[in-house]
Amino acid sequence: MGRYVAIRIGRAALTIVLVVTFAFVVLRLSGDPALMILGPEAPPEVIAAFRKAWGLDDPIWLQYLDYFRAIAQGELGRSMRDGRPAIQLVLERIPATLALTLPAFFFKVALGVPAGIYAALHRGSGIDRAVMMTAVAGFTVPSFVLALLLVLVFAVQLGWLPSGGQDSWRHAILPIVTLSLGGAAVLARFTRSAMLEVLGQPYIRTASAKGVPWRKVVTSHALPNAAIPTVTILGFMVGTLIAGAVVVESVFAWPGVGRLLVVAVANRDLAVVQCILLLVAMTMVTSNLIVDFLYGFLDPRLRAKGAHA
Amino acid sequence: MTDATLKDTAIRRRFSLPAIPVSVALAITWIVAMLVIAAFAEKIAPYGFTQLDLRNRLAAPGNVAHWLGTDELGRDVLSRLLVSIRISLLIAFGATAISAVVGTTLGFLAAHFRGAVEQLVLMLTDFQASMPFLIMALAVLAFFGNSLPLLIGLMGLFGWERYARIARGLAISANAQGYAAAVRQLGATPSRIYLRHILPNIASTLIVSTTLVFPEVILMESGLSFLGLGVQPPMTSLGNMVGYGREYLTRTPWIMLAPATTIVVTTLAVSVIGDWLRDRLDPTLQ
Repeated sequence: MGRYVAIRIGRAALTIVLVVTFAFVVLRLSGDPALMILGPEAPPEVIAAFRKAWGLDDPIWLQYLDYFRAIAQGELGRSMRDGRPAIQLVLERIPATLALTLPAFFFKVALGVPAGIYAALHRGSGIDRAVMMTAVAGFTVPSFVLALLLVLVFAVQLGWLPSGGQDSWRHAILPIVTLSLGGAAVLARFTRSAMLEVLGQPYIRTASAKGVPWRKVVTSHALPNAAIPTVTILGFMVGTLIAGAVVVESVFAWPGVGRLLVVAVANRDLAVVQCILLLVAMTMVTSNLIVDFLYGFLDPRLRAKGAHA
Repeated sequence: MTDATLKDTAIRRRFSLPAIPVSVALAITWIVAMLVIAAFAEKIAPYGFTQLDLRNRLAAPGNVAHWLGTDELGRDVLSRLLVSIRISLLIAFGATAISAVVGTTLGFLAAHFRGAVEQLVLMLTDFQASMPFLIMALAVLAFFGNSLPLLIGLMGLFGWERYARIARGLAISANAQGYAAAVRQLGATPSRIYLRHILPNIASTLIVSTTLVFPEVILMESGLSFLGLGVQPPMTSLGNMVGYGREYLTRTPWIMLAPATTIVVTTLAVSVIGDWLRDRLDPTLQ
């Protein structure tokens, strides 16, 4: 088990290194980082100080190492727009994003997983077909279209809910519904196929053949095995909690990380973009790591395989 | 394909499976229509897509002059839609082709060299799969600004890791099979083995993957363009139109509904064809 944990943590660290490298390469390729981070209007002495502080006159490998050191110390640059540290700007926006993504995550799981399991257990039934059709719709209707349709119906036509802003809990309803519906559809489709694959396995037939009641076959043989792929996709969804609402936040003028990112990209506010990129990478890596450990818990075979890998 | 499988499909075709289900036929018709539109967009379009008609701003759809109405500057929505379809499909096809070629090549390289090369490729696929693509795309756009070639190239990074994984796995198992060993014994070069012998044998699985990646590229591009960060005006794409139409949602929802419907039906059609192909070509991918 110790080796398994070590390998996973090693991989997670490697992913972070890759993301930082990606940011470094892209930043260097795109022009003079001093001008990029500080903006074209920065006074020359500030640029000179920046070049010195960031070691931009050093050889490239030294710059690369320095870049790592700076990031490890939380020096992520300042926003071009108001000169505040980028990390502070981003952290401020996180609660607003979580206010949408956490409830949405809950609804996705609460709707999608049971629907997928039910559809798989009643394959070919009317409900199965309904679930599959909804799931396909959830995949083919992009979130911005769904969001605008909801606005059109519930804000414009019926006038029940506000179409954007963040003044009360009612403003959060449409964004949360948008995020939940799309995610639930994906999850239902995924859970269904995971479940169907497990139900086709010989051990399910064996369990049925030896007279185990169907309900027990499902609960103690099918569900635990179908849980493994489902947990993978759930892990990915946890990883997107921080910045998974880019489009939806933009439609509903919700002041979260996603909207900050879009505005920062439009203004080429690189320090903020870089900061969000790293933050997202951290969340993704952490949640993947947790999923890996959950695998070990859910499936002892993987743990054994991991030990020999 | 061997004789046995040929006979097998011939028998199945004769006895059970109807040639093409209605839904698939409709989907294929739609895609063909889209391709024709993409090819001849500017010839079919009744107006230039940037042509203003300031006296006819925000006209309702259904009138003789403008079938789908006009937008806030009096530009014909139908004409803009047709040109948008061309741009969006151009990006989607270009990007899908890039990611298929890059992914398959990397997968083959990993399968051929194994060892360090394989580890590197696997590490890159893990990395790509573990980062939300939208965030990376936005980061690149922020750093490099925007242009159509860059956008196509960027979208081409989308989904390559799936081809790489599939190509690697299938090529490794194909290498262990008799036919690959036989041509290798006959002295064929590696590139000949991979391109002339292994690729045709695993093509069906790769084609099915293409039908999964293609709609996602359309959705990703339209999402970026919707946010105002993809295709830039005066050029127009489906996502772009939805983005601008959103401003006029209350008064003139058709500006946004026409491109939105096109996006949804197109992705749906490709998915339907993909599902069907998967059932026909590759029973292991259920």
